[in-house]
Amino acid sequence: MKKNSYHLHFTLNGEEKSLDIEPGISALELIRNTLDLKGTKEGCGIGECGACTIMVDGKAVNACLIFAAQLDGRSVLTVEGLSRGDALHPIQQSFIDHHAVQCGFCTPGILMSAHALLGENPQPNREQIVKAVAGNLCRCTGYQSIIAGIEDAAERCREKES
Amino acid sequence: MFDVEYIRPQDLGEALDFLEEYGPDTTILAGGTDVMIDMRAGVLKSRYLLDVSRLPELRTIMFDNGELTSGAGVTITEIGQSEIIGRHAPALQIAADRFAGRQVRNIATIGGNVAHCSPCGDTIPPLLIHDAVAVVVSPAGQRNVPIEEMAGGPYHCTLRPDELITHFILRPKPKEVEFADFQKIGRRKELAIARMSMAVMAGQAADKTISFFRFALGACTPTPHRFREIEEMLLDRVPDEKLLWETGRVLAERMIDITGRRLSAVYKEPAIQGLFVRLMLPLIQ
Repeated sequence: MKKNSYHLHFTLNGEEKSLDIEPGISALELIRNTLDLKGTKEGCGIGECGACTIMVDGKAVNACLIFAAQLDGRSVLTVEGLSRGDALHPIQQSFIDHHAVQCGFCTPGILMSAHALLGENPQPNREQIVKAVAGNLCRCTGYQSIIAGIEDAAERCREKES
Repeated sequence: MFDVEYIRPQDLGEALDFLEEYGPDTTILAGGTDVMIDMRAGVLKSRYLLDVSRLPELRTIMFDNGELTSGAGVTITEIGQSEIIGRHAPALQIAADRFAGRQVRNIATIGGNVAHCSPCGDTIPPLLIHDAVAVVVSPAGQRNVPIEEMAGGPYHCTLRPDELITHFILRPKPKEVEFADFQKIGRRKELAIARMSMAVMAGQAADKTISFFRFALGACTPTPHRFREIEEMLLDRVPDEKLLWETGRVLAERMIDITGRRLSAVYKEPAIQGLFVRLMLPLIQ
Protein backbone atom coordinates (compact mmCIF):
# COMPACT_ATOMS: atom_id res chain seq x y z
CA MET A 1 0.00 0.00 0.00
CA LYS A 2 1.31 3.43 -0.88
CA LYS A 3 2.03 5.51 2.18
CA ASN A 4 1.58 9.26 2.13
CA SER A 5 4.79 11.13 2.67
CA TYR A 6 5.82 14.62 3.72
CA HIS A 7 9.26 16.11 3.35
CA LEU A 8 10.22 17.74 6.63
CA HIS A 9 13.08 20.16 7.07
CA PHE A 10 13.86 21.58 10.50
CA THR A 11 16.58 22.19 13.05
CA LEU A 12 16.88 19.77 15.96
CA ASN A 13 19.22 20.66 18.82
CA GLY A 14 21.21 22.86 16.48
CA GLU A 15 21.48 20.30 13.70
CA GLU A 16 19.69 20.56 10.36
CA LYS A 17 17.39 17.61 9.69
CA SER A 18 15.83 16.79 6.36
CA LEU A 19 13.76 13.64 6.04
CA ASP A 20 10.61 12.10 4.64
CA ILE A 21 7.97 11.30 7.24
CA GLU A 22 4.51 9.86 7.37
CA PRO A 23 2.36 13.00 7.65
CA GLY A 24 0.11 11.60 10.39
CA ILE A 25 2.79 11.18 13.05
CA SER A 26 3.03 13.50 16.03
CA ALA A 27 6.12 15.52 16.85
CA LEU A 28 6.57 13.17 19.80
CA GLU A 29 6.57 10.06 17.58
CA LEU A 30 9.06 11.76 15.28
CA ILE A 31 11.43 12.58 18.13
CA ARG A 32 11.16 9.31 20.06
CA ASN A 33 10.64 6.72 17.33
CA THR A 34 11.97 8.11 14.05
CA LEU A 35 14.92 10.05 15.48
CA ASP A 36 15.40 7.79 18.49
CA LEU A 37 15.75 10.53 21.10
CA LYS A 38 14.13 8.96 24.14
CA GLY A 39 14.61 11.86 26.56
CA THR A 40 11.24 13.35 25.67
CA LYS A 41 8.59 11.24 27.41
CA GLU A 42 5.04 10.31 26.62
CA GLY A 43 2.77 10.52 29.65
CA CYS A 44 -0.89 11.25 29.04
CA GLY A 45 -0.84 11.84 25.28
CA ILE A 46 -3.53 14.52 25.60
CA GLY A 47 -1.61 17.59 26.64
CA GLU A 48 -2.24 17.44 30.35
CA CYS A 49 0.95 16.12 31.94
CA GLY A 50 3.71 18.03 30.15
CA ALA A 51 6.13 15.07 30.08
CA CYS A 52 6.58 15.59 26.32
CA THR A 53 7.42 19.30 26.55
CA ILE A 54 9.91 20.46 23.93
CA MET A 55 10.85 23.93 22.74
CA VAL A 56 9.81 25.13 19.30
CA ASP A 57 11.28 28.49 18.27
CA GLY A 58 11.99 29.21 21.93
CA LYS A 59 8.51 28.36 23.20
CA ALA A 60 7.48 25.38 25.31
CA VAL A 61 4.96 23.15 23.55
CA ASN A 62 3.51 19.68 24.06
CA ALA A 63 5.06 17.40 21.45
CA CYS A 64 2.09 15.02 21.77
CA LEU A 65 -0.35 17.69 20.56
CA ILE A 66 1.27 18.73 17.30
CA PHE A 67 1.94 16.93 14.09
CA ALA A 68 5.58 16.43 13.15
CA ALA A 69 4.87 18.24 9.88
CA GLN A 70 4.08 21.40 11.87
CA LEU A 71 7.76 21.55 12.82
CA ASP A 72 8.74 22.27 9.21
CA GLY A 73 11.12 25.24 9.12
CA ARG A 74 11.16 25.53 12.92
CA SER A 75 13.96 25.23 15.42
CA VAL A 76 13.39 22.48 17.97
CA LEU A 77 15.17 21.89 21.24
CA THR A 78 14.73 18.68 23.23
CA VAL A 79 16.25 17.77 26.58
CA GLU A 80 19.17 16.14 24.74
CA GLY A 81 20.14 19.58 23.43
CA LEU A 82 20.54 21.17 26.86
CA SER A 83 23.96 19.89 27.92
CA ARG A 84 27.23 20.57 26.12
CA GLY A 85 28.93 17.18 26.01
CA ASP A 86 29.48 16.17 29.62
CA ALA A 87 28.83 19.68 30.92
CA LEU A 88 25.30 19.88 32.26
CA HIS A 89 23.19 22.94 31.63
CA PRO A 90 22.89 25.12 34.77
CA ILE A 91 19.18 24.18 35.01
CA GLN A 92 20.08 20.48 35.03
CA GLN A 93 22.79 21.02 37.64
CA SER A 94 20.52 22.99 39.97
CA PHE A 95 17.82 20.28 39.65
CA ILE A 96 20.40 17.77 40.91
CA ASP A 97 21.61 20.07 43.68
CA HIS A 98 18.05 20.74 44.90
CA HIS A 99 16.92 17.10 44.65
CA ALA A 100 14.27 18.22 42.18
CA VAL A 101 14.33 14.76 40.57
CA GLN A 102 12.87 11.60 42.03
CA CYS A 103 11.56 9.07 39.53
CA GLY A 104 12.65 11.42 36.76
CA PHE A 105 9.83 10.82 34.30
CA CYS A 106 8.54 14.40 34.39
CA THR A 107 12.03 15.93 34.55
CA PRO A 108 12.84 16.38 30.83
CA GLY A 109 9.54 18.19 30.31
CA ILE A 110 10.00 20.41 33.34
CA LEU A 111 13.56 21.25 32.30
CA MET A 112 12.24 22.40 28.92
CA SER A 113 9.44 24.47 30.49
CA ALA A 114 12.00 26.04 32.82
CA HIS A 115 14.43 26.70 29.98
CA ALA A 116 11.69 28.38 27.92
CA LEU A 117 10.71 30.50 30.93
CA LEU A 118 14.28 31.69 31.57
CA GLY A 119 14.68 32.50 27.89
CA GLU A 120 11.63 34.78 28.02
CA ASN A 121 12.16 36.08 31.54
CA PRO A 122 15.62 35.68 33.11
CA GLN A 123 14.40 36.96 36.48
CA PRO A 124 11.10 35.22 37.16
CA ASN A 125 9.48 35.50 40.57
CA ARG A 126 8.06 32.48 42.35
CA GLU A 127 4.55 33.06 41.02
CA GLN A 128 5.82 33.22 37.44
CA ILE A 129 7.78 30.01 37.94
CA VAL A 130 4.73 28.20 39.31
CA LYS A 131 2.66 29.38 36.34
CA ALA A 132 5.34 28.34 33.84
CA VAL A 133 5.40 24.74 35.12
CA ALA A 134 1.65 24.49 35.83
CA GLY A 135 1.35 22.38 32.69
CA ASN A 136 3.87 19.84 34.00
CA LEU A 137 2.68 17.22 36.46
CA CYS A 138 5.05 15.65 38.97
CA ARG A 139 3.76 12.91 41.25
CA CYS A 140 6.91 12.55 43.40
CA THR A 141 8.48 15.78 44.52
CA GLY A 142 5.57 17.93 45.68
CA TYR A 143 7.03 20.66 43.42
CA GLN A 144 8.84 22.64 46.16
CA SER A 145 12.26 21.29 45.21
CA ILE A 146 11.49 21.89 41.53
CA ILE A 147 10.57 25.51 42.16
CA ALA A 148 13.71 25.97 44.29
CA GLY A 149 15.74 24.37 41.48
CA ILE A 150 14.36 26.80 38.92
CA GLU A 151 14.91 29.81 41.21
CA ASP A 152 18.52 28.76 41.65
CA ALA A 153 18.93 27.99 37.95
CA ALA A 154 17.79 31.52 37.10
CA GLU A 155 20.55 32.88 39.30
CA ARG A 156 23.17 30.55 37.83
CA CYS A 157 22.17 31.44 34.28
CA ARG A 158 22.43 35.15 35.10
CA GLU A 159 25.88 34.67 36.65
CA LYS A 160 26.99 32.75 33.59
CA GLU A 161 25.82 35.60 31.35
CA SER A 162 27.51 38.35 33.38
CA MET B 1 -0.03 7.64 13.38
CA PHE B 2 -2.86 8.37 11.02
CA ASP B 3 -3.23 7.88 7.32
CA VAL B 4 -3.59 11.51 6.32
CA GLU B 5 -1.99 13.99 3.99
CA TYR B 6 -0.61 17.26 5.31
CA ILE B 7 -1.02 20.39 3.20
CA ARG B 8 0.24 23.85 4.10
CA PRO B 9 -1.02 26.49 1.67
CA GLN B 10 1.09 29.61 1.06
CA ASP B 11 -1.80 32.05 0.95
CA LEU B 12 -5.52 32.31 1.56
CA GLY B 13 -6.41 31.80 -2.11
CA GLU B 14 -4.57 28.51 -2.18
CA ALA B 15 -6.33 27.41 1.01
CA LEU B 16 -9.75 28.24 -0.45
CA ASP B 17 -8.97 26.43 -3.71
CA PHE B 18 -8.12 23.34 -1.70
CA LEU B 19 -11.28 23.59 0.39
CA GLU B 20 -13.41 24.02 -2.71
CA GLU B 21 -12.19 20.71 -4.06
CA TYR B 22 -11.56 18.65 -0.92
CA GLY B 23 -13.49 20.47 1.84
CA PRO B 24 -15.61 17.51 3.01
CA ASP B 25 -12.50 15.29 3.37
CA THR B 26 -10.45 17.99 5.08
CA THR B 27 -9.80 19.00 8.67
CA ILE B 28 -8.53 22.52 9.11
CA LEU B 29 -5.48 22.52 11.35
CA ALA B 30 -4.34 25.60 13.24
CA GLY B 31 -2.57 24.77 16.51
CA GLY B 32 -3.55 21.12 16.41
CA THR B 33 -4.21 20.76 20.13
CA ASP B 34 -7.79 19.57 19.58
CA VAL B 35 -7.29 17.93 16.17
CA MET B 36 -4.59 15.59 17.41
CA ILE B 37 -6.64 14.46 20.41
CA ASP B 38 -9.77 13.87 18.29
CA MET B 39 -7.77 11.89 15.74
CA ARG B 40 -6.22 9.74 18.44
CA ALA B 41 -9.64 9.17 19.94
CA GLY B 42 -10.89 8.07 16.53
CA VAL B 43 -13.68 10.67 16.36
CA LEU B 44 -11.98 12.56 13.55
CA LYS B 45 -11.11 10.72 10.37
CA SER B 46 -10.11 13.07 7.60
CA ARG B 47 -8.05 12.40 4.55
CA TYR B 48 -6.40 15.82 4.54
CA LEU B 49 -5.02 18.18 7.16
CA LEU B 50 -4.96 21.75 5.91
CA ASP B 51 -2.51 23.71 8.07
CA VAL B 52 -3.64 27.36 8.04
CA SER B 53 -1.55 28.43 11.02
CA ARG B 54 1.02 30.34 8.98
CA LEU B 55 -1.34 32.20 6.65
CA PRO B 56 -0.45 35.89 7.09
CA GLU B 57 -4.13 36.81 6.60
CA LEU B 58 -4.95 34.99 9.87
CA ARG B 59 -2.14 36.32 12.01
CA THR B 60 -2.80 39.96 12.99
CA ILE B 61 -4.40 41.80 15.90
CA MET B 62 -5.57 45.29 14.99
CA PHE B 63 -7.52 48.24 16.30
CA ASP B 64 -8.74 50.42 13.50
CA ASN B 65 -11.72 52.74 13.03
CA GLY B 66 -13.26 51.79 16.35
CA GLU B 67 -13.12 48.08 15.52
CA LEU B 68 -10.99 45.46 17.22
CA THR B 69 -9.98 42.50 15.08
CA SER B 70 -8.03 39.36 15.88
CA GLY B 71 -6.86 36.90 13.26
CA ALA B 72 -8.14 33.35 13.72
CA GLY B 73 -4.59 31.99 13.68
CA VAL B 74 -3.41 34.17 16.57
CA THR B 75 -2.26 31.97 19.45
CA ILE B 76 -3.68 32.15 22.96
CA THR B 77 -0.26 33.31 24.22
CA GLU B 78 -0.29 36.14 21.67
CA ILE B 79 -3.79 37.20 22.82
CA GLY B 80 -2.53 37.12 26.41
CA GLN B 81 0.46 39.32 25.58
CA SER B 82 -1.22 41.76 23.20
CA GLU B 83 -1.34 45.32 24.46
CA ILE B 84 -4.21 46.05 22.03
CA ILE B 85 -6.31 43.17 23.39
CA GLY B 86 -5.51 44.25 26.95
CA ARG B 87 -6.79 47.73 26.28
CA HIS B 88 -9.89 46.93 24.24
CA ALA B 89 -10.93 43.43 25.37
CA PRO B 90 -9.51 42.92 28.87
CA ALA B 91 -11.76 39.96 29.77
CA LEU B 92 -10.49 38.10 26.68
CA GLN B 93 -6.94 38.74 27.76
CA ILE B 94 -7.63 37.42 31.28
CA ALA B 95 -9.23 34.29 29.79
CA ALA B 96 -6.20 33.78 27.52
CA ASP B 97 -3.85 34.09 30.45
CA ARG B 98 -5.72 31.34 32.35
CA PHE B 99 -6.29 29.09 29.32
CA ALA B 100 -4.96 25.50 29.76
CA GLY B 101 -1.20 25.40 30.42
CA ARG B 102 1.60 27.36 28.83
CA GLN B 103 2.55 24.58 26.39
CA VAL B 104 -1.01 24.58 25.01
CA ARG B 105 -1.37 28.38 24.99
CA ASN B 106 1.76 28.61 22.86
CA ILE B 107 0.18 26.67 20.00
CA ALA B 108 -3.61 26.74 20.41
CA THR B 109 -5.37 29.49 18.45
CA ILE B 110 -8.46 31.59 19.07
CA GLY B 111 -9.94 30.40 15.76
CA GLY B 112 -9.45 26.78 16.72
CA ASN B 113 -10.96 27.35 20.14
CA VAL B 114 -14.09 28.87 18.59
CA ALA B 115 -14.46 26.44 15.68
CA HIS B 116 -14.00 23.39 17.91
CA CYS B 117 -17.30 24.43 19.54
CA SER B 118 -16.56 22.94 22.93
CA PRO B 119 -19.10 24.16 25.50
CA CYS B 120 -16.03 24.86 27.67
CA GLY B 121 -14.02 26.96 25.18
CA ASP B 122 -12.48 29.66 27.35
CA THR B 123 -12.35 32.35 24.66
CA ILE B 124 -16.05 32.11 23.81
CA PRO B 125 -17.69 33.90 26.78
CA PRO B 126 -15.30 36.88 26.44
CA LEU B 127 -15.99 37.04 22.69
CA LEU B 128 -19.73 36.98 23.40
CA ILE B 129 -19.61 40.03 25.69
CA HIS B 130 -17.87 41.91 22.87
CA ASP B 131 -20.64 41.03 20.37
CA ALA B 132 -17.95 39.31 18.31
CA VAL B 133 -18.54 37.99 14.82
CA ALA B 134 -16.37 35.55 12.91
CA VAL B 135 -15.49 36.61 9.39
CA VAL B 136 -15.79 33.46 7.34
CA VAL B 137 -14.55 33.03 3.78
CA SER B 138 -15.21 30.37 1.21
CA PRO B 139 -14.87 30.10 -2.58
CA ALA B 140 -18.42 31.53 -2.67
CA GLY B 141 -17.45 34.71 -0.84
CA GLN B 142 -17.43 36.14 2.64
CA ARG B 143 -19.96 36.31 5.46
CA ASN B 144 -20.08 37.29 9.11
CA VAL B 145 -21.19 34.69 11.64
CA PRO B 146 -22.09 35.84 15.18
CA ILE B 147 -20.22 33.77 17.76
CA GLU B 148 -23.52 32.73 19.32
CA GLU B 149 -24.48 31.04 16.03
CA MET B 150 -21.15 29.28 15.45
CA ALA B 151 -22.02 26.18 17.47
CA GLY B 152 -25.15 24.16 16.69
CA GLY B 153 -24.48 22.08 19.80
CA PRO B 154 -21.50 20.70 21.69
CA TYR B 155 -18.58 20.17 19.27
CA HIS B 156 -20.87 20.85 16.33
CA CYS B 157 -19.66 23.70 14.15
CA THR B 158 -22.29 25.17 11.83
CA LEU B 159 -19.75 26.27 9.21
CA ARG B 160 -19.68 24.45 5.87
CA PRO B 161 -16.70 22.24 5.01
CA ASP B 162 -15.46 24.78 2.45
CA GLU B 163 -15.50 27.68 4.91
CA LEU B 164 -12.61 29.10 6.89
CA ILE B 165 -12.59 31.69 9.70
CA THR B 166 -10.07 34.39 8.86
CA HIS B 167 -10.61 36.75 11.79
CA PHE B 168 -12.94 37.97 14.48
CA ILE B 169 -14.39 41.45 14.80
CA LEU B 170 -15.05 42.60 18.35
CA ARG B 171 -16.87 45.66 19.61
CA PRO B 172 -14.18 47.21 21.80
CA LYS B 173 -14.73 47.93 25.47
CA PRO B 174 -16.78 51.16 25.75
CA LYS B 175 -15.11 54.06 27.59
CA GLU B 176 -17.55 53.85 30.50
CA VAL B 177 -16.49 50.26 31.28
CA GLU B 178 -14.08 50.18 34.17
CA PHE B 179 -14.62 46.60 35.22
CA ALA B 180 -14.05 43.50 33.13
CA ASP B 181 -13.20 40.01 34.28
CA PHE B 182 -13.24 36.32 33.43
CA GLN B 183 -13.39 33.59 36.04
CA LYS B 184 -13.81 29.86 35.88
CA ILE B 185 -14.06 26.83 38.11
CA GLY B 186 -12.16 23.67 37.15
CA ARG B 187 -10.91 20.63 39.02
CA ARG B 188 -7.55 22.32 39.37
CA LYS B 189 -6.65 25.99 39.32
CA GLU B 190 -4.34 25.68 36.32
CA LEU B 191 -4.71 23.57 33.20
CA ALA B 192 -8.05 21.90 33.99
CA ILE B 193 -10.96 22.30 31.60
CA ALA B 194 -13.58 24.74 32.90
CA ARG B 195 -16.61 23.29 34.66
CA MET B 196 -18.13 26.74 34.50
CA SER B 197 -16.82 30.04 33.23
CA MET B 198 -18.10 33.60 33.24
CA ALA B 199 -17.12 36.78 31.44
CA VAL B 200 -18.31 40.23 32.41
CA MET B 201 -17.90 43.84 31.37
CA ALA B 202 -19.57 46.62 33.40
CA GLY B 203 -19.68 50.39 33.60
CA GLN B 204 -20.91 52.32 36.63
CA ALA B 205 -21.89 55.94 37.16
CA ALA B 206 -20.45 57.98 40.06
CA ASP B 207 -23.32 56.86 42.30
CA LYS B 208 -22.58 53.19 41.38
CA THR B 209 -25.61 52.84 39.10
CA ILE B 210 -24.78 50.24 36.45
CA SER B 211 -24.83 52.00 33.10
CA PHE B 212 -23.47 49.19 30.93
CA PHE B 213 -23.50 45.47 31.53
CA ARG B 214 -22.56 42.44 29.46
CA PHE B 215 -22.46 38.91 30.83
CA ALA B 216 -21.84 35.47 29.31
CA LEU B 217 -21.76 32.00 30.82
CA GLY B 218 -19.66 29.14 29.47
CA ALA B 219 -19.32 25.38 30.06
CA CYS B 220 -22.72 24.98 31.80
CA THR B 221 -24.96 24.84 28.73
CA PRO B 222 -24.49 22.99 25.40
CA THR B 223 -23.19 26.21 23.88
CA PRO B 224 -22.01 29.34 25.73
CA HIS B 225 -24.53 32.20 25.85
CA ARG B 226 -24.98 35.77 26.82
CA PHE B 227 -27.74 35.93 29.44
CA ARG B 228 -29.68 39.05 28.53
CA GLU B 229 -32.20 38.65 31.34
CA ILE B 230 -29.32 38.78 33.82
CA GLU B 231 -27.93 41.86 32.10
CA GLU B 232 -31.31 43.57 32.35
CA MET B 233 -31.66 42.69 36.04
CA LEU B 234 -28.57 44.71 36.85
CA LEU B 235 -28.77 47.52 34.30
CA ASP B 236 -29.74 50.91 35.78
CA ARG B 237 -29.55 49.51 39.31
CA VAL B 238 -27.24 50.30 42.18
CA PRO B 239 -26.07 46.80 43.08
CA ASP B 240 -25.77 45.49 46.59
CA GLU B 241 -24.87 42.04 47.82
CA LYS B 242 -28.51 40.99 48.07
CA LEU B 243 -29.14 41.89 44.42
CA LEU B 244 -26.04 39.98 43.32
CA TRP B 245 -27.15 36.81 45.15
CA GLU B 246 -30.65 37.17 43.70
CA THR B 247 -29.28 37.65 40.18
CA GLY B 248 -26.98 34.64 40.67
CA ARG B 249 -30.00 32.58 41.74
CA VAL B 250 -31.92 33.55 38.60
CA LEU B 251 -28.86 32.72 36.48
CA ALA B 252 -28.70 29.22 37.97
CA GLU B 253 -32.43 28.80 37.27
CA ARG B 254 -32.04 29.88 33.65
CA MET B 255 -29.12 27.47 33.21
CA ILE B 256 -31.34 24.64 34.48
CA ASP B 257 -34.16 25.81 32.16
CA ILE B 258 -31.76 25.05 29.30
CA THR B 259 -30.10 21.84 30.48
CA GLY B 260 -32.92 20.29 32.53
CA ARG B 261 -32.33 19.29 36.13
CA ARG B 262 -29.39 16.90 35.89
CA LEU B 263 -27.60 15.19 38.76
CA SER B 264 -24.86 17.79 38.57
CA ALA B 265 -27.38 20.55 39.36
CA VAL B 266 -26.93 19.83 43.08
CA TYR B 267 -23.40 21.17 42.68
CA LYS B 268 -23.84 23.57 39.82
CA GLU B 269 -26.75 25.58 41.20
CA PRO B 270 -24.93 26.93 44.27
CA ALA B 271 -21.59 27.01 42.44
CA ILE B 272 -22.95 29.24 39.66
CA GLN B 273 -24.51 31.54 42.21
CA GLY B 274 -21.31 31.66 44.24
CA LEU B 275 -19.04 32.24 41.24
CA PHE B 276 -21.37 34.97 39.98
CA VAL B 277 -21.28 36.83 43.29
CA ARG B 278 -17.50 36.43 43.59
CA LEU B 279 -17.05 37.74 40.06
CA MET B 280 -19.31 40.76 40.62
CA LEU B 281 -18.08 41.77 44.10
CA PRO B 282 -15.92 44.65 42.78
CA LEU B 283 -19.18 46.31 41.65
CA ILE B 284 -20.27 46.81 45.27
CA GLN B 285 -16.91 47.66 46.79
